[in-house]
Amino acid sequence: MGWSLPVIESMRKLNKPYVVVSYPDFEGYAKENDIPFVSYQFNEWSDSSNSLDLKEKLDAFGADVAVPLFEETVEWAGALNSLYRDDPRVLNRAFLFRNKAMMKRKALIGGLRVGLFEEVYNKEGVKNFMNRLNQANLQIDGEEDSWVHIKPFASAGTVGHRLLRSQADVDAKCQDDDFPCLAESHLPGKEFSCEAFIHGGKIRFMNITEYVKLGYSNFIPEGNYLHTKRDKILKEMQKLVDLFGIQYGMIHPEWFLTENDELSFGEVACRIPGGHILELCGQAYGFDALGAFVLCHDPDLSEEELKQILPPLDARPKTFYGNVMIYPHKNQISKLIIPEELKEESYFLDHNLVPPLSSQKISDREGFGNHFGTVNFKGDDPDRMTELLLHYENVDFYH
Amino acid sequence: MQEGVISESNLASFEELFENYVSATPLTKREKAQKIMGQLDTWCNKLEGIREVYDKVPDLTKAGIFKDSPWEHPGKLVPQLVNGTYKSGHPNSTIELLSELRMLAILEGNIAGSAAQKEEADNYLQEVLVYNLEFVFNEPQEETRLVMSEHELSKVHALFQFILEKIELSKVKSKLVEELTLICEQRPVVTEKQRRIIALVKEKIELNPDNPADMELLAFQRAIYKPSPASDGKDHASYGELLQTMTIESLEKEAKAMGDSMLQFGLVSTFQATLLLHLVNKEYHELIPVCLGLNPTGVARFNEFKDFVCYLIIQVIHPFNAQCIFGLAKMLENGIISREAVRSGLYNLCKISIHPEVTKRILKSTRTPHEKVSPKQYLIGALLRILGQPLGVGQGNNPTCQSARGISMWSQHAPAKLIHMVQTAAVHNDLSFRFEGQEISYSTTIDGLVQNLDHHLDAVSVTLVPMLDRVYNEMMRRASGRGEDPHKWANPGLYGQWVQIGFASAYDYLSNAIVDFDGFIRVFYAMCHPRYNGGHRLVYPNPVGIFITSAKGEMLGFHAISLLRVDEDPSGKVRAYFLNPNNEGRQDWGQGIKPSVYGNGEIHGESSLPLYQFAARVYAFHYNNLEASSKMDKIPQAEVEKVKKIAKDSWGKSYTWLEIKKQW
Repeated sequence: MGWSLPVIESMRKLNKPYVVVSYPDFEGYAKENDIPFVSYQFNEWSDSSNSLDLKEKLDAFGADVAVPLFEETVEWAGALNSLYRDDPRVLNRAFLFRNKAMMKRKALIGGLRVGLFEEVYNKEGVKNFMNRLNQANLQIDGEEDSWVHIKPFASAGTVGHRLLRSQADVDAKCQDDDFPCLAESHLPGKEFSCEAFIHGGKIRFMNITEYVKLGYSNFIPEGNYLHTKRDKILKEMQKLVDLFGIQYGMIHPEWFLTENDELSFGEVACRIPGGHILELCGQAYGFDALGAFVLCHDPDLSEEELKQILPPLDARPKTFYGNVMIYPHKNQISKLIIPEELKEESYFLDHNLVPPLSSQKISDREGFGNHFGTVNFKGDDPDRMTELLLHYENVDFYH
Repeated sequence: MQEGVISESNLASFEELFENYVSATPLTKREKAQKIMGQLDTWCNKLEGIREVYDKVPDLTKAGIFKDSPWEHPGKLVPQLVNGTYKSGHPNSTIELLSELRMLAILEGNIAGSAAQKEEADNYLQEVLVYNLEFVFNEPQEETRLVMSEHELSKVHALFQFILEKIELSKVKSKLVEELTLICEQRPVVTEKQRRIIALVKEKIELNPDNPADMELLAFQRAIYKPSPASDGKDHASYGELLQTMTIESLEKEAKAMGDSMLQFGLVSTFQATLLLHLVNKEYHELIPVCLGLNPTGVARFNEFKDFVCYLIIQVIHPFNAQCIFGLAKMLENGIISREAVRSGLYNLCKISIHPEVTKRILKSTRTPHEKVSPKQYLIGALLRILGQPLGVGQGNNPTCQSARGISMWSQHAPAKLIHMVQTAAVHNDLSFRFEGQEISYSTTIDGLVQNLDHHLDAVSVTLVPMLDRVYNEMMRRASGRGEDPHKWANPGLYGQWVQIGFASAYDYLSNAIVDFDGFIRVFYAMCHPRYNGGHRLVYPNPVGIFITSAKGEMLGFHAISLLRVDEDPSGKVRAYFLNPNNEGRQDWGQGIKPSVYGNGEIHGESSLPLYQFAARVYAFHYNNLEASSKMDKIPQAEVEKVKKIAKDSWGKSYTWLEIKKQW
């Protein structure tokens, strides 16, 4: 569900029957390239556009499992899988991934550590939330306010995510159409994500992605320090899987690890993660991560096939793959300049940056917005990798 | 990592990317190819890197890197398009580079091809090379400089160096003749480019004196390697020995041949310096004007200032500082030498000691400084060239058109001031200007437009330009925020008070738009068009700001030139004759606007355009504010409309246009 050429390529290579469901825009290309295709308006839900109708169309292809590639297709896939597995709760679980407040409540009930959170409906609501947080943090007059994050209930990644550092920030940064949304306290600690490939309710393979800077850079596998916490993380992850009742597929939660070794749950998604994470993951562990992502959704997959496609649970690659997403630093750019130092950098792997269109104005960034391209690195030392990624985040490629 | 070598890990990265590419299905091949390009791009700014890429080209080609792209079929590629593709930058420039290397691989048999395909590849590469001499010699044109990054320039330069090593140039002789003729016709102060082409031809092409096509190239060869009968097969030292034995009659023949040879292309050989010094030392004074190729006016001036000229020759000229002989000859003809202030200034200059920093810059600008030639000789030599050929001054690969324009103007209209500036700058590595009652000096101002001066310049320019650039920049800074283009004040501040007070700009600062373009064009015509300005000629060069546009007519940036005169050309069309301080006066500004340098009544070094075409690129100029308004109405509306249409269809698209009337 959703259009992704690399995923289609993986399906071809794996020789698995598949059909792509996506917007009518892609139909022409699909036809030209012999890609089995069903065109569907995901953003329309009506008597003639619904999961029963879609299922009927897909029956012609013999489809029996739906795989959501993007945030917008999670409910659609959930609905179809509910039908395929004859289990209405599969759809409810999909809703769980699409409502950040509901997801947090579920985590809280199950005993995962989460921040304080609340659904808010307007700026007043955010201010009241901040006030209560200040109270709980025993704020004294003149001290800074506690930080509050607001996030839309159902957007992917960092889209619409705002960090509010003070009451004044609430007025300055919040827009009326941000609401209703989720407000939550700031979680301290080192942020990372996990990609757990699940089959039969068990984690069969788990990747940890170390975030060097959220929205800019990450690398795989995790660095040496985070690696010492792997067992602990795996346990928490299995807890999350059990709690959410996830049987098949892949989940991509974000966690925070404090200095006291406590793990806090941030949020979780069940589609392909952003930041080219599966690409790095596949390179580092040497497997077809996108193919594995799709196959894990299939309840009929055999143990043997699982073993073939996934790396062992305790694999630890020696080479680290990292990337940094490049955003222009200026408002008006006309040239792409690859810095000299990158040309000399032995960790440099590739980039896909292109020069701007003559003289281009940069519009404001929404969330982390559209980056202009990615620079990839590979090397054996995770500390050097961290340094490089931090450094290149601040290097100006566009002038 | 060793300098100039691609590291093991980068080579390994390529292998990894290449494997991913080969194993990809057509669905993601493009994306994977792009990643390979990203890695290869970083190798290409060095010759060593190009060599590595070249080794990989057969595999890349076989894997289908060109497939489904405009580069797919080598037989269908067009040499004329290559230059534009390089200017569009990575990733296009990287695949273009691969495409050239593929051609080379076909030619060298590293990629299988029929004899006909090899022949085709050879023709293609030779043509590409000639169309891209700016990259071969790393002397980019103004447009190129504006659009290409340093990395892209060094990448393309490295590529062409690599190709040049491997191919011949025998199939592009007539193109090379055309190129050499057009460069030499402009009589540039820096003659390195034509010398390099001539040397290249000598190295690469076997020329046959019986073949008419070769004769023209041989003429250029002679100017450098055999300018006179006796210099054949000699070097300047053995030629010098031979001169000792010559009779005055033979010397006269030699002098005549030398003078004629120099006048043909404006190029001076080492032999000519040897001969001239011999004539001066032996006091054969009557042969000196012959050797200098002087016209009667020049001869008269030589006779008047004989002692001083001989003194200058002894002080400055050397076989490895010979090109200034042409400048000296032209100085004698244009009369600058008659000014007492000029002679005193030059005399003083012979006595100075040069600041170590300036010495460094001068030596850097002289690619291969000769131990017997002092930096001071290089400096004065360059000054003679500039004073003799004011329109040959160039900015090199630097954004310093304003400074180059200034040097050119002073050498014509304030030569003694120029000499004095050179002296001050050379001795103190500092320079001060008066600006609106205050002093601006180089040493106390912040960086100007140029941070890393490209030293492919004459010795005077490397001495003065870093200072002029900063001083001009400071004037611009002080004059900004007045609601009008600061050039209005900075131009007379830098160049001199003879710059007219009135200043017209098409662009209005307050409304951020092009305002009353009709009026602007009317003032322009009233300023310079002889039919509407009362039949007057321009007196001093007018510092004019123009829009630089691409060959497609798209707005690229701004450029400073000076309008020298407006006149009828041999066919009776009214043309603007101007100095473009860019190295290369021939450009393509789109809409069929191609400044010419030769054949339309230009004096050496002038560029020219039909006046209406020139007007359609102007955005600012100076004029006499007391008389313009009375002449504006005489200009026919049709002419104004014609100019306006061209302007609006090109750079004008980047602006808002307001039709309200303005007081001029």
